[in-house]
Amino acid sequence: MKGFHLVRRTNVKLWQRILFYVIGILVSLVIGAILLSTLDIDPIKYYRQMMTIGLIENKYPEKAIEGLLKIFVPLLIVSLALSLSYRMKFWNVGGEGEFIVGAIIAAVIAFKCSSLPGPLVILLMSLAAFIASGLIGLAVAFLKVKFNTNETLVTLMINYIALYVITYIADTKKSWNFFLDKESARPKFAKFPDPAKMPGIKIGNVNLLYSVIIALALGVIIYFYLKSTKQGYEISVVGDSTDTARYAGMNVGRIVMRTVFLSAALVGMAGAFSASTAATISTSITNNVGWTGVIVAWLSKLSTPGIAVVSLLISVLQYGCQAASVSYGSVDHNFADLLQGVILFSVLVADFALNFRIVRRKEADNV
Amino acid sequence: MKRFVSLLLSLVMIMAVGFCFGACSSDSDETESAGEGGASSDFTVGAIYINSQNDTAGYTYAHHKGITTAMQDLGLDVDSQLKIVDNIPEDYDQVMSAIDQLAGQGCDIIFGISFGYLDAFNDAAAEYPDIVFSHATGYLSNDSNFNNYFGRIYQARYLAGIAAGYKSVEIGNNNIGYVSAWGTEYAETCSGINAFALGVQSVNPDAVVHVKQISTWGDEALERQAAEVLVDTYGCGVIAQHCDSAQPQIVAAEKGVFGCGYNSDMAEQAPDAHLTAPVWNWNVYYQYAIETAMNNDAADFVSIVGNYYGGLAEGMVDISPLTANVPEAAAKAIETARTMMANDQWDVFSGVKLQFFEDGEVLDVEAALVTNDGTEIIAAGGQPIDDSVIQGSMNYYVAGVVAES
Repeated sequence: MKGFHLVRRTNVKLWQRILFYVIGILVSLVIGAILLSTLDIDPIKYYRQMMTIGLIENKYPEKAIEGLLKIFVPLLIVSLALSLSYRMKFWNVGGEGEFIVGAIIAAVIAFKCSSLPGPLVILLMSLAAFIASGLIGLAVAFLKVKFNTNETLVTLMINYIALYVITYIADTKKSWNFFLDKESARPKFAKFPDPAKMPGIKIGNVNLLYSVIIALALGVIIYFYLKSTKQGYEISVVGDSTDTARYAGMNVGRIVMRTVFLSAALVGMAGAFSASTAATISTSITNNVGWTGVIVAWLSKLSTPGIAVVSLLISVLQYGCQAASVSYGSVDHNFADLLQGVILFSVLVADFALNFRIVRRKEADNV
Repeated sequence: MKRFVSLLLSLVMIMAVGFCFGACSSDSDETESAGEGGASSDFTVGAIYINSQNDTAGYTYAHHKGITTAMQDLGLDVDSQLKIVDNIPEDYDQVMSAIDQLAGQGCDIIFGISFGYLDAFNDAAAEYPDIVFSHATGYLSNDSNFNNYFGRIYQARYLAGIAAGYKSVEIGNNNIGYVSAWGTEYAETCSGINAFALGVQSVNPDAVVHVKQISTWGDEALERQAAEVLVDTYGCGVIAQHCDSAQPQIVAAEKGVFGCGYNSDMAEQAPDAHLTAPVWNWNVYYQYAIETAMNNDAADFVSIVGNYYGGLAEGMVDISPLTANVPEAAAKAIETARTMMANDQWDVFSGVKLQFFEDGEVLDVEAALVTNDGTEIIAAGGQPIDDSVIQGSMNYYVAGVVAES
């Protein structure tokens, strides 16, 4: 058997890129349409519901927008944050854990400092979450820099520690546990006092939370941070080659620790925002954003504007899949997840086909 | 920048395709919905499930079956008039989002089946006063459009306990096992264990109920392990359960002992071992709730239905048909106990105990309800304890129950 191998394409043109993505999405939609037809569902009607996030014939369209934004905000912040680490080829897959830690710390402030005025409590919650999660990131980066540990493994393990900590808090009804609702005989997280609840401004019927504005502003700040500051430049040099960075006289260890701190800290802040939006926490508060964020960062090739677009697209996909499945009795959540997976997978395959071509060994030898 | 432009362009194209689909199909859509108008009304039921609506066993399955059965009995079309969001974890934002979607689809009543949906349901009831909110296993409600519902499954467990008690006498083994999701931290689980144990003791006063807790509502591997330990280490001859799968019954069959399932008639999975299982008939409540919501304003719902806590009397709970493994005398005894509970003559947690004899005859004796550490809960002859205790704050085991680590 002749061997095959992959050759990276150079000079991919813009129209090719678009063509590949569109083909990828169309293929996945056709696969989805076949699956939907087997369930006796009109695929066109279904897709219309999905892509319009169920806005058509909706009695409360403003709620659909708010629901979409509740998925979008954490996804945007987490993807932006993770991309900071990934730019240095530091594979932080601890998004889930850092998010949970941020939410727990935010909850502590919410319950313990509720006598302070509203905006101050939320500021404190965000700050505390920022620092707490940042320190975890710093610790991992320190281990990497000092002992060359594998950051993928360490951050992965942190996810489980954080998850089991919050599960322990959720299940343990003891007098010290101020997280739980005293009124409830069964263990259940209490609601935050009012000052800890994320406020918003009414635009029409839509209650636009401040977290949305902050998240977008954060995107702009990170864009300029990476593009126009010395620190941003250092990150890209370290990402290209640590040797070059060292040769240029940069303190690579310090840059890595600083950036990973920032990366983890922002994920933690996203956790605080989610906690504050819901005004409570739960063991499933992440909604898998720590994983989805990795996909977003990857699909957008770590470009900051790209992350904004891709996280919006994926939020539309997530919310839309659920919205569409609601209208059809025979479509359950698992099917919606499946469809989502097929679409994401097709885009990744398109992305792969765009960047690589498969050549026979022989042909390659002749080249 | 190029990447950004390309992504933006693909976004625009996807949206364009989406809206084109929308535009193309809107005509056919209208005619179709006009055709569907043949259903008896445009009343829409919404439901939020913790697991998948396509489950074939377990908690979500039982509720889904209850809702669909009730709708069919009321002449509603399940395909078009039931909207479901499933696999929703107990997370405030995710539950709220699901409620918003159901409200947006025009639901007139929304059921939530999991305890942790409580806060979101409470807040949503205030936000959507035109929609009825009904929440299973919770404790919050308002006086207009938000109630909670549950059932006296402990009554059915007592009946299953009688069957187990007769079996233990027949096989001459006083050790009875109980695989439980949780222990005394949940009233739902410990009230079930207590009722079952009292049922067992009504026939076999010397019986001991060994409880093995798995600390999760469902995990087939843990359920299996717990059942194996109960048989191998504690020598139990009957295995009862409060967990999702039929694994404890399957283990009982493998080990040649007997068992009482839960939620569905588990004779299907373990015909040689199964005695009877406490089962829910959720459709009893769902039919009542949907019918009331159809014929009344949402604001009047609670004044009519109230917080619902149905038992044997309403048919909300029952036991599955006794198998041939159950000793003959049990049928008579179970019928006696059932009639007494259904007619409100007697209840499980009270100062009066029933005592059944080998021929199924009954004697009621005044006896205190005592916990397994000797604390007296109700004096001999005392009145039954309050429903809210059984639902919410019960946190002890009765005498004769041993929690195994």
